[in-house]
Amino acid sequence: MRLHAVEHGHRLTERLKLMLIRVVSMRRVPDVVKTLFYRPEFFGRQMCDWTQAVMRGPSSWSVGERELFAAFTSRLNQCLF
Amino acid sequence: MGNGTVRYAALIERLVESVLAGPGHAASELRRAVFARAFGPHPLTLPLSSPLSGTERGTGGEDIAPDLAGYVDKVALHAYRVTDEDLAALKRAGNPDDVLFEVTVSAALGAAVGRLERGLSALRGEESSPPDPLSTSWRGGMQEHR
Repeated sequence: MRLHAVEHGHRLTERLKLMLIRVVSMRRVPDVVKTLFYRPEFFGRQMCDWTQAVMRGPSSWSVGERELFAAFTSRLNQCLF
Repeated sequence: MGNGTVRYAALIERLVESVLAGPGHAASELRRAVFARAFGPHPLTLPLSSPLSGTERGTGGEDIAPDLAGYVDKVALHAYRVTDEDLAALKRAGNPDDVLFEVTVSAALGAAVGRLERGLSALRGEESSPPDPLSTSWRGGMQEHR
């Protein structure tokens, strides 16, 4: 993470959630999650609502197909998925 | 499909409004200019190796400092090329983390929504000029395609 605030500047509620994720998953929390949890009222909350609707909401595409689209797009963007 | 159209448009609008007009450390005008610059024309029409001027990118570019504009273009066109030094230089120039966070989100969102709108426009078989990124008319075109 290149911005110190997004790496370490989360408020208490989000910090506790990140800690829980780290303990349960026994892995480092992915940067995208830290970004979504940083000042969530600005970006993360609304982004998660949209993502949830698109990726898990009613659709003629299956969840697997949608995940494949996302992985393919990330690949084109040279972004690890 | 109809219900999906309404739901997605509302969700996208809520996200865009929050990022561009919600409380923040960067001025709302700057966030809007960054979004508009990143929204851009179709990326495939531009040589990826050349820097993009404000004129080429349409509205918004004139309100962004040159160093920040270069960063916005990088995030919008090839975010994987962003380096630690890019951010360090912007911080040395006096941009706090929260401003850079908001600029980065505005740029990424502008690029994403611009691509989404152009993709949907292509699926509809339209050959139109790029939509105005800061108008709300583009959101009407968003619908699920299969």
